[in-house]
Amino acid sequence: MMLEYALLAGAIFGLYFALAGLGLNLVFGVMRIVNLAHGDFMMLGAFSAFWLFRLIHLNPLFSALFVLALFALLGLPLYYLLVPPLLRAKDPEMLSFILFFGFSQAIEALAAIAFGPSERSLPGRLLGRGPIRILGQAFPAAWTWSGIASAAAVLAVYLYLYHSRLGYLTRAVMEDREEALATGIDVHFVSAIAFGLGLALAGIAGVFAPFMLGSATPSMGLGLTLQSFVVIVIGSLGNPLGTVLGGIIYGVSLMFMQTYFSSWASLLPYVLLILILLVRPSGLLGRQVRRA
Amino acid sequence: MKHSMQVLGGIAVLSLLAAAAPARAATKAPAEIKIGTLYASSGPFAGISMPVYDGLKLWINQQNAAGGVYVGAFHKKIPIKLISYDDLSSTATAATLYNQLITRDKVNLLLSDSGSVLTSPAVPIAKEHKQFLFDVSGSGAAFFTKDNPYIALICLAETAIAPKYLADFLNSDGAKYGLKRIAILYSTNDFTGALAKAFTGFIKSAGKLKIVYDHGVPTSTSSYTVLINTIAATHPDAVVEMGYPGNDIAFLRNLRDVGVKFPFLFTIYSGTEIAELEHAVGAAAMTNVFSYVAGVTYQYKVNFGPTTPGFRAAWDKAYPPGSGAEWGMNALYGYHTGLVLQRVLATTKSLRQLDLRKAIFALSGKLTTLNGTFVLNSEGAQVGEIDPVGQLRPNGKGGLRLDVVYPPRYANAKPIIGKK
Repeated sequence: MMLEYALLAGAIFGLYFALAGLGLNLVFGVMRIVNLAHGDFMMLGAFSAFWLFRLIHLNPLFSALFVLALFALLGLPLYYLLVPPLLRAKDPEMLSFILFFGFSQAIEALAAIAFGPSERSLPGRLLGRGPIRILGQAFPAAWTWSGIASAAAVLAVYLYLYHSRLGYLTRAVMEDREEALATGIDVHFVSAIAFGLGLALAGIAGVFAPFMLGSATPSMGLGLTLQSFVVIVIGSLGNPLGTVLGGIIYGVSLMFMQTYFSSWASLLPYVLLILILLVRPSGLLGRQVRRA
Repeated sequence: MKHSMQVLGGIAVLSLLAAAAPARAATKAPAEIKIGTLYASSGPFAGISMPVYDGLKLWINQQNAAGGVYVGAFHKKIPIKLISYDDLSSTATAATLYNQLITRDKVNLLLSDSGSVLTSPAVPIAKEHKQFLFDVSGSGAAFFTKDNPYIALICLAETAIAPKYLADFLNSDGAKYGLKRIAILYSTNDFTGALAKAFTGFIKSAGKLKIVYDHGVPTSTSSYTVLINTIAATHPDAVVEMGYPGNDIAFLRNLRDVGVKFPFLFTIYSGTEIAELEHAVGAAAMTNVFSYVAGVTYQYKVNFGPTTPGFRAAWDKAYPPGSGAEWGMNALYGYHTGLVLQRVLATTKSLRQLDLRKAIFALSGKLTTLNGTFVLNSEGAQVGEIDPVGQLRPNGKGGLRLDVVYPPRYANAKPIIGKK
């Protein structure tokens, strides 16, 4: 029973982690930069949902739509402000680490001043009362809704990438930025859309964070970035759909660790990161999907 | 001969004057009393650090508004200068900043940041520099040793004895309420890890309850659903969860959401930070949960400083709603620390570190503030008030109140066990 529960809980949690990592991977895939402030945008999404509920009693499902639009719009000017200068540098990847780390620290500090350091959360009843039974096991209703929302977001990204004109262009930029530029694609516009989408996905994941992670604090960003990073490394850096596999593997592993080796659970992200880098540095879906 | 005697006499007088000169210089009152401390504005310990810092600042502001703090060694009031740095919840940063407070800022009084984790780097540094450490709430038993005279714990009982009433309650009354099997879940940090170890020791030595689950989880744990399922599979009658506020919030939320109920449930911060937890998980999830009863809810008869309601009034005036300051046990700890420093400064013979030590040890057993009676053991650990055990009940206004259920001399209600 404990095994089945850990497996199912891990799958639901994995879907959430897939959503958490998806935006980070999209940004890396298109721009080859690592947004170390990704977790901080999740934190801002969580606080947006908290304040939207506190001030106007907005249900988190609607907050997610609001955050989606807001963060996507925020991403466009932010892209033009930060990313083109980075891409002109000799080593944009390394420089992005430094720049977005500083950005992350600034966001955390400002959030701590604005919201205070305490834990904030949303009532679980907002996403349904009582547990929901899945294959005979009881799970929080909020988890189930968060899992469904995550799956919907992943599906939307898939449809965007593989069944829309902008998605084709995005994949072209992911494949080879220089070549895409040479063929007349407005690389910066496509990248700006991807950057906005990445922030929007982080924001949506943040909206559900109080339900999946218990609460939100201004300092939660760095940990979330690390977890998201592990998820995308497992799946494959630069391959947004590999993130789903990475998320589920991470979620199931975490729940197994909590069940059988609870004291060691915090080591999991690092152990998985080291294992993947040693055994399959390109990630589990690295080769096949990038060339699909 | 007479001339020689005059010369010797002169030398003796000069020697005495020379000897007295440094003493006079040492007794010159400083322009300000420098209090050095750290706080964490962000990171995992911000929630317990900032209220302490705000409570301390409130006391300092009150003192300075009254012309300064009275320093007995100089028979006068001297303004306080607070020198504080943000350690961002990082022990590495804290270690550097503690060093800085001692060696560069040369603070008169050194206070540690809140909690055992951020106090841990201060203990060896203060000892090495022979600087007395006013340990606010770092209650890890390992901090207090016979070979270290440079530390005293101010606010809460050291971890080795802190869970005694909880264990006594379960050992003595547990069987009466049908509690036979107990599960213990704790966060693996210096504070809750040590508390759980002491608690498990009390339970094991009494031999009245069977421990069916005893596991630690990382303090960063934010999802307890699977853990709750694992615990439920061991069929415990009593569950004791020991974590920081974030852990308690996630645990209580997941417990309610997954629909699992235990006849007896204890968490540390349900009772000590009621407002914060109630905001986060709602009153329903906390009803009938057992917790510690700190001075923030229990009114001690004080012989120094304000009572809890008096302090609350001052707090609300200083930090109106929307200011971001969180009322709770840690706020009281910060203010109580100030009261202890006030008595230390009023009675110390000088600002020398070992004189400060003498002064604070002299207060042991004689000072009762809104945090209860201040008692130190010979190693500087706080052994005064052990927090009683309370149970959260609906207050009839949609919120919660905390009734004291154990020990009998403090109790104002009987425990309700088996209901949620």
